[in-house]
Parts: sequence; structure tokens; C-alpha cells
Amino acid sequence: MEQPLKPSPDSYEARDFGWLVAMSLLFFGLVAIGFWREYRTEWGPYQHEFPEILGHYGKGEEARKFIPGIKQIWIPQIAVTDRCITCHLGYDWSAILPPSLAQPLTPHPAGDLIAKHPFEKFGCTPCHGGQGWATTVNAAHIGGPGWIDPMLTPALAASQGLTMDQMMQMRCNFCHRHDEATPGMDVINRGKTLLRKRKCILCHSIEGRGGNTGPELTYEGDSNPELYDFSRVAGQKTFFNWNVQHLMHASRITPTTQMPDYNMPIDDARALTLLILSWRRQSFPPEYIPAPSEAAAAMQPTPATTPSANAPEHH
Amino acid sequence: MRERLSKLWRTLAWSWSPASERESSEAIVKNFWLHWFPVKVARASMDFNYSFWLGTASAALLAILTITGVMLMFFYVPSTERAYGSIKDLEYAVSFGRLLRNQHRWAAEGMVAVVFIHMARVFFTGAYRGPRAMNWLVGVALLFATLLLSFTGYLLPWDQLAYWAVTVGTGIARQAPIVGNTLALILLGGNQIGQQTLLRFYVMHVFFLPVFAWILFGYHMWRVRKDGGLAAIEPLRNARTSTPRETPAAKSYSLFGVTVGTSVAVRSSMQLEERDQVAASPNLIRRMMLVFLIVFNATLAAALLFNAPLEGPANPAVTPNPAKAPWYFVWLQELVASTTIHLGPYTVSGALLGGILVPGILLAILAAWPFLDQSPREAEGLWFARNRNRQNLVFAAITGAIIILIFVGVFLRGPYWRLYWPGMPRPAMPTLM
Repeated sequence: MEQPLKPSPDSYEARDFGWLVAMSLLFFGLVAIGFWREYRTEWGPYQHEFPEILGHYGKGEEARKFIPGIKQIWIPQIAVTDRCITCHLGYDWSAILPPSLAQPLTPHPAGDLIAKHPFEKFGCTPCHGGQGWATTVNAAHIGGPGWIDPMLTPALAASQGLTMDQMMQMRCNFCHRHDEATPGMDVINRGKTLLRKRKCILCHSIEGRGGNTGPELTYEGDSNPELYDFSRVAGQKTFFNWNVQHLMHASRITPTTQMPDYNMPIDDARALTLLILSWRRQSFPPEYIPAPSEAAAAMQPTPATTPSANAPEHH
Repeated sequence: MRERLSKLWRTLAWSWSPASERESSEAIVKNFWLHWFPVKVARASMDFNYSFWLGTASAALLAILTITGVMLMFFYVPSTERAYGSIKDLEYAVSFGRLLRNQHRWAAEGMVAVVFIHMARVFFTGAYRGPRAMNWLVGVALLFATLLLSFTGYLLPWDQLAYWAVTVGTGIARQAPIVGNTLALILLGGNQIGQQTLLRFYVMHVFFLPVFAWILFGYHMWRVRKDGGLAAIEPLRNARTSTPRETPAAKSYSLFGVTVGTSVAVRSSMQLEERDQVAASPNLIRRMMLVFLIVFNATLAAALLFNAPLEGPANPAVTPNPAKAPWYFVWLQELVASTTIHLGPYTVSGALLGGILVPGILLAILAAWPFLDQSPREAEGLWFARNRNRQNLVFAAITGAIIILIFVGVFLRGPYWRLYWPGMPRPAMPTLM
């Protein structure tokens, strides 16, 4: 015998229906929040503003062609995915936009440096540090937990007693390691001179050359700071600081060391430390490494008259 | 008006609607997807207070993990060079990528917890007796599969957290007697973690373990039905059969003697009367949908509120201090650390005792328990039955100890694996710049 369907007072429909409705509403609410979070980006307002600014400086055509979205410089050869330009949209508009334009739209200063290191070949992070993948302000500049290469800032440099320019030279030396000296890299050049003058390789082996008294230094910039004794280091517990103080008074930092106390001026110690920390395992392919002769030539004082390379030959 | 609306809805949403409970039940039997539901389900099994629907919640999590996991597979590259970058892409460039990864991560960690609590529920209700012992074994295997799934997934982002957690985990496996080195070699695909390990873990994570878990899950569900539903009905059944009938000696009710102790008739659901049961369609199905929805909402809310952890890219040269195993294994790490004894220049590693023997023995006892349990059958299907007090207390004590060890490992262990009480300052570890 078939029973007709009728909801009884103790039926599960009566008990569960309200819950189902509540959970469905919660589900729609959560999905709505998800969409809101996805489309409320930090870069959205800048991309809204940028075409207007381009138009203001007479680039209406380019402004109309501007397509909003995540922008990136992708250079697989050197594993660079730099989305910095999603916000820093004015980076290659220095010819049009004034340097006084507020960040993040400020154009990158043009000059010899940029002419030799074009954005499409070098990206942003190889020089500036920071997290190229990120599309949020905090993550891009500071990185996440355990991020070892925060973006270089004047404040970060000042905390180590350096200027930002000096700190960036450490990164220049990733490629310019084998230059005897490089134009514009005064601090690293000073470090390289000191390295020769103090004859470090009498005790330390660097790239296969040198003594065995001290530790090998070829990739010293990759060291794990935790393996060093910081108990006698004054001030910040950074590997940079350890090296600076160790170069000045080795016996104070490591009483058992055989390394003499050089008592060198702190600026010399900082220059040498920047040089040492620049020695990292790098993923730059050979075409990124400058020929040492080029740099040597560039360091020569410019003669009064330069013979033109393509001047017609006379017989 | 209301009837008209109701009729309109039926015309729009249904091509057919059941006119009776029987028609409704036939809808289940005739439907491929619904056929593994019973036609009728005991009211006792429907109670939230009995099972908390933890098994259904585990199944919902497995479904969420499978769907989000397949979607993540479209973006993830299992190579040491690309893995970390592909996770960063998911976080910053893929539409809803961060949400997807967050939901997958929290559902995975939730599943470890829910599957364990589900097992605790089955233990405390004594629901693994008699024919259900087999399903308890399947459940233990499913718990093991869940832990392995979570652990293999842990390595895939290829960040410092992943790299060193798996270093710790496989380091413990290496301490197993006789097979230790071979086991580590099989897990790592070599002597240390590298591309070959990542590929192994990936293949295990996206194919073998999920397929294993789904097949086992299917069997687990089928078995629940064939064993007569949830043990929640046993008290009722025991009440109805106050003097268990003797099985006639001449007659064997089970082909292989699997149904121990009672005849088939006593254990069949025919003991339940009409008023004890409701039609599975729509009552059971509606409530299952509700549980799925609650679990989905919970994981989605977690994904919106908390980001899945991701540290710097894996660096074999720099060990984070301290390097911790995933939380569900951190109690083993804690055991290993606290059973390691230093005698002058000699160190007796606790890895064998804490990492292999203790969990091995616990797992063996867990699997064998239904066959060792001597408590009376009247305790079946009751929460904290008085005549199961002793074993419930032992189970709770072991679980409590594990939870305390997890808490200590996760929250109180700081640099150099030293104890730091909440609020105690932890030493700042030196950084590069």
C-alpha cells in the first residue's frame, strides 16, 4: 500500500530546510566576497589613472591602446618574472613623463646605465631586489616569510651604514664579478683594490686560486648566517655586520682565528664586505657577463681625440 | 497562491515528482549515482549527536580536494626549477589561484583532523565490533592514505617549509630497522631530496594515492551498508532481541563464516520497524547535501581568511631554524627529539624509538583492536558506554598525549628546538643584510 507524501511535524525536512537555506545564503555570500577580493586589486586604481596621465602629456593614442591587467617582464634565461610594472607603469616613459610624477607611476631615470641594461633584458629585480612575482605592494617590496632578497631601499641601506647606490653595486657585481674595475661601481672597485692590496688569496682560496689557511670564499655570499658565531658582534645580527667587524678586528669576533686584525677603516671594511657578499651562485648566462677587457677600456681616461672606428681607411 | 507557486516550481524544476514514498525509494534504486544509498535509513543513524556526520564530512573534503587538486594541476609544474614559481603564479597572477590553493591546503589539513576525529568517534561509540571490524581496518588504511596524501602534497610547493619538512620526515623513515635505507631510497628516488623526489611525490600525490583513497572510500561506504548501517541502531536492536536466539548448529548462515556470533537474521535491518526508519530519499540525501555545503563553506571561509603558508624557495644550503615536520607528524618529531640522548661525545638517536617503534606499535594496536576488544556487545553504538570505560580512557589518554606533543612542537619549539613558553622572547636569527 502506498503512503501519500505529507510532511509530518517531526520530518527531517522541517529540521534541515532552514539550515539548507542558511548555508546556501552563506555560500553565496562567501562567493561574493571571493569575487570582490579578486577584482579589488591594489594595482587597479593606478591602471585607471595611468592612461589619463599619458593623455595629459599628449600621448592620447597610447592611452587609448592601454589594456588593463597584470603586466610583466618575463626573461626565462635569467628566471625573471617581474610584475613590478603592473603598478610602476611609467617605468619606460622617461622621455614623456616628468621625474616629479608620484610613485608608483614615476618613470625610471634614463641614462647610460639604462641604455646598457635595457629593461627587456634585465627586468627589475636583478638590480633592485624584491619579489618580482608579487602583485601586492607589501609582498613585492618586502617579500614573504623567509624571503632573502627584500627590495633595496634607502632605509635598508642606511641600517647598514650604506647608501642605496652603494648597496646596489653589490648586485651589479653579480655579473661584473670578473671586471678589474667597472665605471660607476666605486665601492665595489674599492673592495677589489683592497682585495688585491691586502693579498687575501694568500690564505683564502677564491675561484680555485689561493691558500688553504682560511676558508674558501668563492660563494661566500650564499653562506648560511646561522653557522657563524654572532655572540661577539656588536649591533645588528646580520651577516653583513659580522663580516664588517671581522674584517676590522678578526680576533674580537673569532678569538681563535689566525686572521690578523687589519684595523682597517670602516668604509674599507664595508666595501670589502659588499664585494664578498656579491659572490653568489648566479644563473646569469654567458651573454650577460661583460668581457673584462670592455670594463678595463671603459675605466681608461678618455683621450682628447678618439679615432673613429668606422672612419674610412687611407692608403 | 502558495500552491500555485509550488506547482510552478515543480513544473520548472522537475520532469517527474514522486507521488509516494515507494516511488521516491525506487528513484534511488534505479539511479546509478544514488544506488549505493539504502532505501530506508534508521532515524538513529540520522542523528547529528551520534556521528556528527564526520565520515560524510571526510568524504566532502576528499571531493573538494579532488576537484581543487585537478584544477591546480593545470598550473603546477612538478620541476625543481618551476614548481615554486608556479605556486607564486597561482598566488599573484592566476584568477582565483590563491583562493584555489588556500582551499586545497585547508581542506587537506582539515581532512587529516576530521578523519582522525571520525576514527575517535567510532572508537568511543564502540562501533567497530563484529562484522564492522573489517570496515575499521579499511578506515585505518584510509587514515594512513590521508596522512600520506597530505605529506606528499607538502613537498610540492618546493619552498623551504616543504623541503625541510620532508627532509625531517624521510630522515625518520631512514631509521627503520633493516628496511630504513631502502625505504628512504624508494621515497626519495635517490640519496637526497631532488627532482626525482619531487616527481615521485607528485605522481603519488596526484594519481596513486587519490585513486587508492577513492577505491577504499567506495569500499568503506559499501561496507557500511552491508554491515547494516551505522552502529547507532545496535542499542535498539539489542533491546528488541533481549535474549539472543541461538543459531541452529546445523545451519550455516554465512558462506565463509564471516558473520561471527549471530545469525544473519538477527543482524539484518529487518529488525527495525517502520517507525524507526525514514526514506533515504529525500531525508538522507538532503542532510548529506547540507553536510557537503557546510564543509564547503568552512573550507571556503578558511581560504578567504587565511593564506596557505609559503616560504622562500627551497635552499638545500640553508636550514630554517627550527625545521619542523607538518603538524600531524610533529608529535613524532617531538618524540624523536625527546628520546635522543647525549652521553658525552656519543648521541643515541631517538629516531628508531620515537619515529618508528612508537608510531608502528600504535598503528598495529589500532588495527588489531577490534579483535582484542573484550567488552560486551551491549556497549555497541553507545557513546562512552560504562563497560568500555577503561579502553576509552586509554584511547583518550594516548590521543591527549599526541595532541599535547603536537601543541608543544608547533607552538612552543623555537630556534635550536628549545622550549619557549608563550610570551617568552625568542632569539632573532641572524640574517644576510
